[in-house]
Amino acid sequence: MTAGGIPLAAFITAMLAAGLVAAAPLVLAALGEAVGEKSGLLNLGIEGMMLSGAFFGFYAAYQTGGALWGVLAGIAVGLTLGLLFAVLTVSLRVDQVLVGLAITIFGGGLTAFLYRDIFGGQNPSLSVDTPRIAIPALSGIPILGDAMFNQGLLFYLAFLLVSVFAFLLARTRFGLQVRAVGEHPFAADASGVDVTRTRYLAALIAGAMAGLAGAFLSVADLKIFQVGMTVGTGFIALALTMVGGWNPYRILLASVLFGLLRSLGNGLQILGIDVRTEFITMLPYIGIMVALALLAGRTSLPAALGVPYARGRR
Amino acid sequence: MNRSGRRQTGDGQITPAAALSPHRPSPITHHPVTRSPIVQMRDISKRFGPVLANDRISLDLWPGEVHAVLGENGAGKTTLMNVLAGMYQPDAGTIRIAGEEVQITSPADALRRGIGTVYQHFTLVPNLSILENVVLGAEGGFLVDLGAAEAKVASMLGEFGLDVSPQTEIRHLALGQRQRIEIIKVLFRGTRVLLLDEPTSVLTPGEVTSLLELLRRLRDQGVAVVLITHKLGEALAVSDRVTILRGGRAVGDLGPDVMSGANRESVRQRIVEQMFGGSQPSGSHLPTASAQNRVIPRNEESRLQDVHGGGELRFFAGAQNGMSPAELLSLRGISTSGDRGSPPLHDLSLDLNSGEVFGIAGVDGNGQKELGEVIAGQRPVTSGKILLNGVDITNRGVAVATRLGIGYVTDDRLHEGSVAGSSITDNVALKSIGRKPFSNGFWLNRRAMEEQARRLITEFDVKTPGPDTAIGTLSGGNIQKLLLARELALEPKLLICNKPTTGLDLRTARFVIQSLRDQADAGKVVVLISSELDELLEISDRIGVMYNGQLVAVIPRAAADLETIGNLMLGGTRRPRRVPA
Amino acid sequence: MRHGVFPARFAPLLTSVAAIAAAMVLGGLFLAIRGKDPIAAYGMLASRGLGTSYGITETLIRMAPLLIVSAGLLISLRAGVWNIGIDGQLMVGALFAGVAAAAVAGQIANPLMWVIAALAGMGGGLLWALVPGILRVRWGLNEIITTLMMNYVALNVTSWLVKGPVKDPSVVPPQTVLIPREMRLPAIPETGVHVGLVVGLIVVVLVTILFRHTVIGFMLDVVGRNRQAAIHAGMPVNRLTLVALLASGALAGLAGANDILGVKGLFQGNWNPGYGFAAFALVYLARLNSLWIIPFAYFLSFLAIGGEMMARPLGIPTYFVEMLEGLMLICFAVATYFERMRSPFGHQEEVETGPANAGEAPEALVGEPLLEPVAQPTGGRP
Repeated sequence: MTAGGIPLAAFITAMLAAGLVAAAPLVLAALGEAVGEKSGLLNLGIEGMMLSGAFFGFYAAYQTGGALWGVLAGIAVGLTLGLLFAVLTVSLRVDQVLVGLAITIFGGGLTAFLYRDIFGGQNPSLSVDTPRIAIPALSGIPILGDAMFNQGLLFYLAFLLVSVFAFLLARTRFGLQVRAVGEHPFAADASGVDVTRTRYLAALIAGAMAGLAGAFLSVADLKIFQVGMTVGTGFIALALTMVGGWNPYRILLASVLFGLLRSLGNGLQILGIDVRTEFITMLPYIGIMVALALLAGRTSLPAALGVPYARGRR
Repeated sequence: MNRSGRRQTGDGQITPAAALSPHRPSPITHHPVTRSPIVQMRDISKRFGPVLANDRISLDLWPGEVHAVLGENGAGKTTLMNVLAGMYQPDAGTIRIAGEEVQITSPADALRRGIGTVYQHFTLVPNLSILENVVLGAEGGFLVDLGAAEAKVASMLGEFGLDVSPQTEIRHLALGQRQRIEIIKVLFRGTRVLLLDEPTSVLTPGEVTSLLELLRRLRDQGVAVVLITHKLGEALAVSDRVTILRGGRAVGDLGPDVMSGANRESVRQRIVEQMFGGSQPSGSHLPTASAQNRVIPRNEESRLQDVHGGGELRFFAGAQNGMSPAELLSLRGISTSGDRGSPPLHDLSLDLNSGEVFGIAGVDGNGQKELGEVIAGQRPVTSGKILLNGVDITNRGVAVATRLGIGYVTDDRLHEGSVAGSSITDNVALKSIGRKPFSNGFWLNRRAMEEQARRLITEFDVKTPGPDTAIGTLSGGNIQKLLLARELALEPKLLICNKPTTGLDLRTARFVIQSLRDQADAGKVVVLISSELDELLEISDRIGVMYNGQLVAVIPRAAADLETIGNLMLGGTRRPRRVPA
Repeated sequence: MRHGVFPARFAPLLTSVAAIAAAMVLGGLFLAIRGKDPIAAYGMLASRGLGTSYGITETLIRMAPLLIVSAGLLISLRAGVWNIGIDGQLMVGALFAGVAAAAVAGQIANPLMWVIAALAGMGGGLLWALVPGILRVRWGLNEIITTLMMNYVALNVTSWLVKGPVKDPSVVPPQTVLIPREMRLPAIPETGVHVGLVVGLIVVVLVTILFRHTVIGFMLDVVGRNRQAAIHAGMPVNRLTLVALLASGALAGLAGANDILGVKGLFQGNWNPGYGFAAFALVYLARLNSLWIIPFAYFLSFLAIGGEMMARPLGIPTYFVEMLEGLMLICFAVATYFERMRSPFGHQEEVETGPANAGEAPEALVGEPLLEPVAQPTGGRP
């Protein structure tokens, strides 16, 4: 069987692969955001952090020729902005939405400026090596194998981190403290948990993951940087965090669905099926709103989300 | 389903017999011999802005004793406890633990030193399991080893009469069960000094009994138990030692010799006097004992009629044909759903008559605020009816209630009564902004607003640079005057005031109270919610006492005295009424 | 306040001015690090942006949509509603305006056509705000996420419409029918600035009147400053929330119409000027005071135009200005902290901050009080 001249199996594989690759940065960013929100921090700066991760990751990889350096640079810039977010919202207790938007605007301007300033009118692409690693046996599974098990290292890492974060939140002392601090900071404080320290760590993790997600886009996936290249990916990750109810596995599910819906649009176009791509492309966004509306009242937000904590002021 | 089943089992287990079967020491006679206090607090002072919450309080806690700290709301109990728990740093004074002077820098620090606290508003995270809550904050490695703790927690649960799995999430538990988890949580951390803040306020009478048994058992194991409470009965039932706080100072100290003495009645008498300012001297307070003899500016004294004799006392003004012509508001079988930290009202009925001040006494959190909100239309009722002049206004909302002549002065001046950052002018117009003279429904009449603000400022003698000043920068007394003035300017037929004199200087308080009396004398109804019994006794025609969401008694002024009301507020039963002179 | 010479009502401006100054210094340092001469840069920014008639004209043209969008955003923020969907509302409004204008252009008098297009634009923006508004009021969904998502839906919907149903069939690129230059908004006499600027100023004045002189504006303010007090006073809090969001959306749509009628003449696929973020910076710097929007709108427009003009000669990418805006907001956040510490309310922040003033913690996703905008700390009095 063929579709538009392409064998159907290959077509599905390609679509799956595209969907999963689109989901990977969403998963990365959303996992970090989940930790942040669980601790009571709503990080609207995620978009700016991702974009910064994308640019600095790209630049480091471009300069060194090593993808690893790119990834590390992405994480580093994410950490820096995460720290800024923590200082402003946790220590100075400035409104989280205001600070988040400020970081997003700043990140957008900074990266665009640097990119144009450094590269002028050129749009170089990276020549770094991010080899596909085929996992023996698994990659041989028909249709699925090539999409899921013949990908780059960072791709695997993204999905591996889902379990790591699930473990982190559920089983570690830090995870327990994060959950307590976001739900009832006074209780956590009274129980001897350092609320400030926990929130700082959570903000750093959220920043690092957003930076990593950005680096994935520019270094591992597209190998280029474009001004404003995240086009809202960070905000979508933020929404998916809520749709996934802060559960890493459900976040994974939501992200993959989102990624697949997105690749479906391109796929149908390739097939020549006359469906307006725009309808398909906007489905995921509408899906997010519908999902949130359906979940309203069933999932509960961390009770202290957005609320600064100071001891003795309840 | 599963959940309610579990709860039932839990409740079934919370009986004194089941919880304490193996060894039940006699609660009164058995005292382990103790040589020295484990905690010595000396001259602790703590100030919040203008309020001196703790004024040179000293307190010794002994292992193997239950120590009750008694006092009204605002007496400084909770502040004192928070100092010991590491939540607040004292401004002055020293704390010694086992003889060694220490600084308790944080709650974590307090826990490390063996001081565990069970707060009135529980500090359990609702969506974590029992086990997770117990180990939360405990020191340890990167991973939480829930497995190791599980056996111990499970055995403690059993010991405390809780038949639930350690994996149960807190939100599935009843309040009484949660409290035991709180106690388990602090004991798990090796607590030697157990502080409990108003631990019985959320419990049913049965649960209270078993909690007190539990505390006795902990005492016998050598724990120093501190019971912070305003309920006299339970303090008497379980304490070896009592400290009475009033106005931020320790005004009384009764040791084991007194507490275990034979004459309970005289002990009770003594404590009530110290708490509420009877004949016991306590410094600079008003001579409140004379309140009963004060001449009350009331011109309708002669209407008073005790129609029911000894039972529930009611009096009617005028005719008694079921619905008297003077009756303005009638609450019939009102119930509400409770929300966080407040008890629901249950089947509450009350009739209010024109020309009276109806006082509502009660310890904070027994439903007084909720009752005020219900009348004002601010809190929906789940059943029952509210009639104003015979018109059903049930659940019609604040706007309707205001328009029909119900005014409400909340106790939360800064966060509810006013918009702190807005001008006096804006705040004065807040409640009737959509009406003349402040607007024609669309356009504001700024001049009328400002005129009104100026008029009220002058009339009520408000100290302010001018009507443009942000109301939040004024003193509490001046804000209160404005809020009262705002309501009075609407000429309500019924005015509810919740703790209108809290934090006011004496003169302003007098002014407020006198204004309320004047309103009633002019034929309005005033509902005065207060924890100041003196002021209730001074101007009320009738006093209702609330306890646990219910109006437990309505007493005509002539039959009311401090002791009777104090007892009812503390959950006691009504004592035989003394014949008023 | 305590600063004797300085009138108290201008005190909040000091915070903004300090934040802007700090951001300019940081931006200058950044330029220096990048090997550019910050003095020359700021010098050229000023001389070209303020000293040339081209610079001034362009600045004034840019001001118009910023004024309108910011006035709308101010309404929602003052009422405690986060409308982050400005961009989407603006796009839909612009498309509606473009279609409506093209449909009637030439058949009726131009002024009538402008009115129809403006109304259509406002309707589009309102429609786009209606969805998050209903989700918020009926289901309690937090508007931050929903307005953000509606931006992307808008991007796709307008892109589809302009490729299909409303496309000008006579040209290849996806766009609506062009409105001839002579039918667009005329220039203000003696200038090259179209009358959209006047509309913008009128909108700002109307919003000022709304908050100073009308009952509804008064109530919106109270809801934003202290929701509990609004409930206590018997105000229809939910309805007011919806009104704020809708008004904000309608004005965003009007700004879109302004750009179509004044500058562009048509709606192109994927056109998104991204005024939303600039408006956020602007409204915060103006301390949520509607009249102060005017100077700050001029300032930010001047930065944008000056930035474009200095870009080529000095080799400084225009994105420098966007970065400056971000820096200003970050500095502003820090500055509000110091302001709060010095204020008489310093010790009782709950009087000041949005989230805390809501009083009730949300149990579920029904996040009524969650993340209220900081109407209070940043808001000066009108």
